Amino acid sequence: MDALLHVLVIGMLLGGIYGLVSIGLNLIFGVIRIVNFAHGELVMLGMYGAYLVYSTMGLSPYVATLIVVPALFVIGIVLYRLVLQPLQTESSMQIFATFALLVIFQNVVLAFTRGEGFSVASGVAGMTLPLGEIRVTMSRLIILLAVTAAAIALHLFLKRTMLGKSIRAVTQDRQAARLMGINVERTFLITFGIGSALAGLAGALLSPIYTLSPGIGGNFILAAFAVVVLGGLGSVAGAYFGGLIVGLVEALAGFYVDPELKQAIWFLIFLAVLVVRPTGLFGQVGAEEIGFREQA
Amino acid sequence: MHRARIVTAIIAATLGIVLAPAPAQAQETLKIGAINPYSGPLALYGDELARGYQLAVDEKNAKGGALGKKIELVRGDAGNPQQGIAVVDQLVTRDKVDLFIGTYISAVSNAASDAAQRYNKLYWDTNALASDLTERGLPNFVRVGPNAQAFAEMSVRALVELIPPALGKQPRDVSVWIEHEDSIYGKSIADNQKKLLEAKGVKVLGQGAHNFRAADLTDTVLRAKRANPDVWLQTGYVPDDNLLLKTAREQDFKPPVMVLVGTGDTQETLDALGVEYLEGVFVVSYPRPDISEKFGPGASAFLAAYRKAYNRDPIAPQSLTAYTGMRILLEAIDAAGSADAQKVRAVASAMDKPFNSYPSGAGVKFDDKFQNARAAITVIQWQGGKQVTVFPAEARATGVALKNTPRK
Repeated sequence: MDALLHVLVIGMLLGGIYGLVSIGLNLIFGVIRIVNFAHGELVMLGMYGAYLVYSTMGLSPYVATLIVVPALFVIGIVLYRLVLQPLQTESSMQIFATFALLVIFQNVVLAFTRGEGFSVASGVAGMTLPLGEIRVTMSRLIILLAVTAAAIALHLFLKRTMLGKSIRAVTQDRQAARLMGINVERTFLITFGIGSALAGLAGALLSPIYTLSPGIGGNFILAAFAVVVLGGLGSVAGAYFGGLIVGLVEALAGFYVDPELKQAIWFLIFLAVLVVRPTGLFGQVGAEEIGFREQA
Repeated sequence: MHRARIVTAIIAATLGIVLAPAPAQAQETLKIGAINPYSGPLALYGDELARGYQLAVDEKNAKGGALGKKIELVRGDAGNPQQGIAVVDQLVTRDKVDLFIGTYISAVSNAASDAAQRYNKLYWDTNALASDLTERGLPNFVRVGPNAQAFAEMSVRALVELIPPALGKQPRDVSVWIEHEDSIYGKSIADNQKKLLEAKGVKVLGQGAHNFRAADLTDTVLRAKRANPDVWLQTGYVPDDNLLLKTAREQDFKPPVMVLVGTGDTQETLDALGVEYLEGVFVVSYPRPDISEKFGPGASAFLAAYRKAYNRDPIAPQSLTAYTGMRILLEAIDAAGSADAQKVRAVASAMDKPFNSYPSGAGVKFDDKFQNARAAITVIQWQGGKQVTVFPAEARATGVALKNTPRK
């Protein structure tokens, strides 16, 4: 019983990581209908950003989020404006473009760092909270809290604010939204910025846990896509709960079945969901089609 | 009419210059193609190997070169097998190299040496570890450095000769949990470790595999913790070494002895874990320049030469092994009087130098598959943020003792 509880805790914490990485991807996927292959690299840039702040200013990665998150927001907007907006009418080309960004980011960072594996140290991150016999690591608990806060904040933003409402309107029907006077291009721009900022948040908070390498985005991107599909496109709750489910499944499979197979198992679930309910658990029916409703 | 003639003359002259045979300069230097990743995630190590090669080349050139010619190192960048093949083609046809040396990545060595064979050029490997490189029986291939099994064997030697006395136990009373990353690299070493340890009577409590890029290794650590071993033996890469150690610290997994095989002895791990936590962790790795002169004659001279040439300490221990490998190659070429693959191999198979003949502590004695049976591996221990050679005993510098064993 004790072991099960321990595994559930591990699973939830891991789910927090997956959720935080996926929440930005899901927003972009759901609203702009772009498969952003470079999302893992935006997380990676967030990590290296935190490392840069840590190594030049000596600040903890948690403080660094104040710098990294706005920086990634700006980077996201610039990327969208320069690379993706010109390709707005060609959704397949947008996908290739994001893939090209993936390669560019990885190699630029590689060129600057020559492949050396950096680490970001944080006293707070390594602390553990004893929960009976279970040890909860502070760095992962912070991530779980952060993704919960981000999910709630994003939900409120989309529901209550004017900008949030216009994002939802554009998600439902681009043409109609345009007819209602919503500046669709600007909405996309801001959405991509927010999605990138969330990736930056994930990166900064993950930096104390892992050894940084230019390819580290690849470690998370597969899980992130599984989460997005499982949770449902464009749904904030989908990214959050989808992340938790994937994390729990991985932890349970890793402990009770075999650590070597744990990632294969959630891919099986991912495939099953795609076949049975392609919209995912929380997604809007029909949202799974790329290019849903006409682009203009 | 007049202008047309001038134009024709100019064109003819230009063509003549362009198409004239290049002066036969290639024959005046001995060109060695050095195949390594010089870009990409492993560029750090590729560069390090090339630095080792260059030091050996510079030394030999100062003594008159080889075969009466100056030696020139030509870099061939290859991060994957396809690039390996392409770069071999390029180095032979464009740069006219006489032979090849390499390689940090085994898969690259495999493909590149195969490509070199088509040109009948020697491929002298100093660092790649995969067993199949020599098992293949390729007629142009020689491995002067250690293979993966040498790492497995040294880790087992350490567990039988070095660790039990430090724990105040007999080898048969020592228990081990074997952990490894799940590709052919980790798996082949782990399987060999299990076999050798059990043959020596050491208790193997279990064997765990994990993906070196996994986002979470808590379950891996908990499994080992449940088994409660005396020794935690891990073979993998830097990302999983670091995450495993961090997770072990967080989950309060405190085995009396931790041994990492192959990686974990660089600044990357020190930065990730800190001086205090790493104190006492053993790493089975390539020999470092701090080994005793008795064990590795010329090791300190190598360190001095490296510092002079590059203004820093070696980034990774692989350079000493690369330097030694190049030195042995140049000796073989001199003895053969040629860079021809078959002649050098014939000379190599006759070479017989005992252990501790060269700066890395290696000797030379090739088996029938052209694997050097006397390649050197050592074990270091992290002490005060430094990597200190502690095993074999002859390799220890004076005054070196084990620290934090068993771990507090």
